[in-house]
Amino acid sequence: MGTFRRLLGFLRPYRRGVIASLLLAAAAMVLGVLIPALVGKTVDAVRNGHSNLWPYAAAILAAGVGRLVLSVFRRLVAGRVSLGVEFDLRNLMYRHLQSLELGFFDSQQTGQLMSRATVDLQSVRFFLGYGLVFIAQSLISILVAAVVMFAVNPGLAAVTLAPTPFVIWVATQYGRKNRPASQEVQQRIAELTAEAEENISGVRVVKAFAQEERQFARFSRQVGRVFDQSMVSTRLRAFYNPFIGFLPNLGLAALLFVGGRQAINGTISVGEFVAFYGYVALLTQPMRMLGVALGMSQRAVASGARVFEVLDREPRLESKPDAQPLPEGGGRVEFRDVSFSYGGEDAEPVLDEIDLTVEAGSTVALVGATGSGKSTLVMLLPRLYDVTSGALLVDGADVRDVDLPELREQVAFVSDDPFLFSASVRENIAYARPDASFEQVQEAAERAGATEFIDELPEGFDTLIGERGYTLSGGQRQRIAIARALLRSPRLLILDDATSSVDATTESRIARALGDLMRERTTFIIAHRLSTIALADEIVVLEEGRVLARGTHEELLEESELYREIAEKGLPDQVFLTRDPLEREATL
Amino acid sequence: MRAWAARWWALFRRTELQRSRKLRGLLELLRPYRGRTVLMFVALLAATAASLAPPYLAGKAIDAGIRKGDVSALDWIVVAFLVSAIVTWTASYVQTYLVNWVGERALQDLRLQLFAHLQRLSIGFYSRNKAGVVISRISNDVEALDQLVTDGVVTLFSSSLTLIGTAVILFVLDWKLALITFVTFPILGIGSIVFRLVSAEAYRLTREKIAYVTAYLQETLSGIRVVRAFGQEERHLSQFADLNEENRAANMKTVNLNAAYFPAVEFLSAVATAVILLYGGNQVLNGGDVTIGVLASFVFYLNSFFDPIQQLSQLYTTYQAGMAALDKIFELLDEDPDLTDRPDAVELPTVRGEVRFEDVSFSYEGEGGEYALRDIDLVVPPGQTVALVGETGAGKSTFAKLVARFYDPTSGRILVDGYDLRDVTERSLRSQLGVVPQEGFLFSGTIRDNIAFGLRDASDDEVRAAARAVGADEFIERLPEGYDTEVGERGGHLSAGQRQLVAFARAAAVDPRILILDEATSNVDVHTEGRIERGLRRLLAGRTSFVIAHRLSTIRGAGRILVMEHGRIVEQGTHDELIELDGAYARLYQDWAEQAAA
Repeated sequence: MGTFRRLLGFLRPYRRGVIASLLLAAAAMVLGVLIPALVGKTVDAVRNGHSNLWPYAAAILAAGVGRLVLSVFRRLVAGRVSLGVEFDLRNLMYRHLQSLELGFFDSQQTGQLMSRATVDLQSVRFFLGYGLVFIAQSLISILVAAVVMFAVNPGLAAVTLAPTPFVIWVATQYGRKNRPASQEVQQRIAELTAEAEENISGVRVVKAFAQEERQFARFSRQVGRVFDQSMVSTRLRAFYNPFIGFLPNLGLAALLFVGGRQAINGTISVGEFVAFYGYVALLTQPMRMLGVALGMSQRAVASGARVFEVLDREPRLESKPDAQPLPEGGGRVEFRDVSFSYGGEDAEPVLDEIDLTVEAGSTVALVGATGSGKSTLVMLLPRLYDVTSGALLVDGADVRDVDLPELREQVAFVSDDPFLFSASVRENIAYARPDASFEQVQEAAERAGATEFIDELPEGFDTLIGERGYTLSGGQRQRIAIARALLRSPRLLILDDATSSVDATTESRIARALGDLMRERTTFIIAHRLSTIALADEIVVLEEGRVLARGTHEELLEESELYREIAEKGLPDQVFLTRDPLEREATL
Repeated sequence: MRAWAARWWALFRRTELQRSRKLRGLLELLRPYRGRTVLMFVALLAATAASLAPPYLAGKAIDAGIRKGDVSALDWIVVAFLVSAIVTWTASYVQTYLVNWVGERALQDLRLQLFAHLQRLSIGFYSRNKAGVVISRISNDVEALDQLVTDGVVTLFSSSLTLIGTAVILFVLDWKLALITFVTFPILGIGSIVFRLVSAEAYRLTREKIAYVTAYLQETLSGIRVVRAFGQEERHLSQFADLNEENRAANMKTVNLNAAYFPAVEFLSAVATAVILLYGGNQVLNGGDVTIGVLASFVFYLNSFFDPIQQLSQLYTTYQAGMAALDKIFELLDEDPDLTDRPDAVELPTVRGEVRFEDVSFSYEGEGGEYALRDIDLVVPPGQTVALVGETGAGKSTFAKLVARFYDPTSGRILVDGYDLRDVTERSLRSQLGVVPQEGFLFSGTIRDNIAFGLRDASDDEVRAAARAVGADEFIERLPEGYDTEVGERGGHLSAGQRQLVAFARAAAVDPRILILDEATSNVDVHTEGRIERGLRRLLAGRTSFVIAHRLSTIRGAGRILVMEHGRIVEQGTHDELIELDGAYARLYQDWAEQAAA
């Protein structure tokens, strides 16, 4: 019930619209009921030999016009309410997601979040926007018609309306059972699509191993599953739909049986008999709607609970209310006794009591095996995560005390598998500085060694890339990401395996260009290649979240066994002779 | 003007003729289920006929029962009424069930037909067409047909029959009143069609807008790290709000259209009622042959008279969407498989593995196109490992694809143990061939399933032996569920290195005479690297192998290195020989060595 009341809260800004649409619906329904009543009156007038039928026809037309106007306004108002609620809900959800810290997204699958933000949100907005209005309107319609019918003839009203509760109940049942059944159909179609996708993407493997028959058998199993579930959904529809249509007919049969007798013995007039038939016909639609909407409401509450689960999750990483601006400085970084784990204090620490000072303007290379904590260490710098214990200082200020947007403005990050947006090359490079001039964008691209391939793209800097655009190779994406970071002109530059997919020749060119930039700012490099590591003033060797050794290349070769091993085995022989020119020859 | 009209008419006739062929194809799908289809139509006829009875019976109740004071006649009418309601109910049940059963079955068959056809198409087809587009033929387009086949057919027949049935009944009851009622037809008909056309466009726009909203949401959630790292939340908020607003505006249009249309239909029905009462009432009063009961029947029929017209107007949209889907599906089905076995193709006997290229050239576009391979002449003795090196686009993958006969040479020929690849059956060739694609493409299922992929009814021992042969057993057995571990979609639950090893084992399991391998370029850690190197060595041993090589260790171990440039072999020999030669290979090697030493 709590969820239900909270859901209703979303209608609050629109309460005037809601009330107006309900009043309009009630008024329209009164006129709607008036029409069969007038038809009945006309019939009686004819029976009684009144020769002037014009007033009756005029009254019916007037009622029709009135209902037309009221219905138009009712639909306009109710439509605006429902679209407004939808708009608000979606913005609220998005705003909230944007306020949550990265740790939240680590613990959630994107697919799960997407389904809350789309499927669940959809059923909530359908219910709030349409379902509630349907329920209210249908209730009003049934109520108005029932009041009129009972006023005219309580006995007859009772027998003809007797099936109504059953119609509503059966329709509710249908609404409740049908949704999950048809969603399961959709789910199985999604599985079938995935199966087809896998086969088409892996067609070379299928053909190479001559396994067409086996894959066909697999696919037909999926097709069969879709069919079976469609039949489950079909059986529901085949049973409920005609049944819901059948019940009101029982009311009409009762009308003929009881009302016919009353008309014969004169308790009611023929006109009233005709009017009753009209009322029952008028009620069929609202009864059905009411049932469907009630079925919908149960789902909406369940979905609402899931939506609220996300909305109620407080952001855990925000600027303090009294956050200070980042002090002036050249980017001196100090890790004081920093420990960190992704799961909070009880979990296995990924960083274990790191003490490390990096002077402003220097370049540090982080070296270590997979899982040694290199990437985690650098992610603390833009405060993507907060330290579990200890403190991280940038230019003397604890990052937790600094205004967050300002801190992040001073840190630029390039990862090994950079994410690019579905936008032009230019927009992607200018991502963090939308106001940058084209010259600045070009300069950043030049420094990142990206100009060469960008010029060869179909539309140069205006080529659309990303998921819905031109597909770039890993090395090309990395270079665009480097350009994106450089344009920011940050105090701290982080290159997390940022050139892993770039061939050796290009890498050394980027490294030379970066050399100048690195002198002006503090740079953290994570790399596998010695040529890149060699750019650093100092190398820090990490193992299992601890600093094992630090020093220059020569010093470490002597002092650190681990570094020696990495230096020898980590040679990049696999990029021998590979470059990524533009032509994308499909791989085998 | 007339020429234009004639052209338009010709085009119209042509598309409609093609469509009639396609519609026949669609009907063909129903053939296996014709018994059920006939039964469905019988049920539909019965349901429609029975559903027309109530307003007539109600009118009869007035004329034969109430006005005459005849209770027993009334009771018979009530019985008839109940019978008609029950017939409607049961016949609708049968009809709904059967139409969906037949429709879904037919579409299931169509899906299988499409899939089987896709499997017959050559690799060339898949290079020309985007995977997403091909997939949507099987999923979205078949779904769109579903609408046409089930809802469309039912609407077409039941609405038409209802309309015709009502018209006939009204005409029989009183033809003058019937004609007056029919006056509303064109108004409603034209109005409805206009409404459908305009609103179809409006709805299309709403679907497009909501797709943008969802895509934006998806993208910013996937890229949330970048958003956070660069602190661009505000910008995304305002862009999202803009998209959201566009979505609202698009939906507003449909709200406005609906607000105009549906109340207008209601109004039209009120107008018709008033006219009928006015004219028919006067007929009754003036002693015409219209009775009160007939008048009442007319009014009752008017209650649901407009439904079939509305539904029929909606059918047009369904028809359009369904036909568009059908066009695309047929386009795919009409695609001819361009690599099929010759009628006189022979079984390739077990080969030793000698591969010979005789003056082979190849172009993806066929003769006259740009050549991806040129004048390749080469004899590879059985068991030799050939490393293909060169820049991307030099023709390495094309070379490998021709050996696997994913394509046929444009000129020249390729022989295995003296057999021209075009003269042997595809199956017999492929069963002696092992392929390891670059990222070790795996299928969802268990590790066991994947290793046994190329075998029929592989035993556990065979699977284990294959894993052991390439040294993949070690990591597999350490997994909590061992060989029963689910690898996930495209092997996503395994690391890149693990996927490689499973792909090696899959190739080893079929014990191929000829192996084609595209070496991975992804970064793996030092430990896994070593394991992959060892696995690779074992896989290549004793087999004629073609490796698109990226690792120095692989290249050094090869019996022969082919250095390719622009589709030609520019140098060949062992590592030492090529260094000695001091040509292209030596230069590239030097570049690398300088890098490594930096």
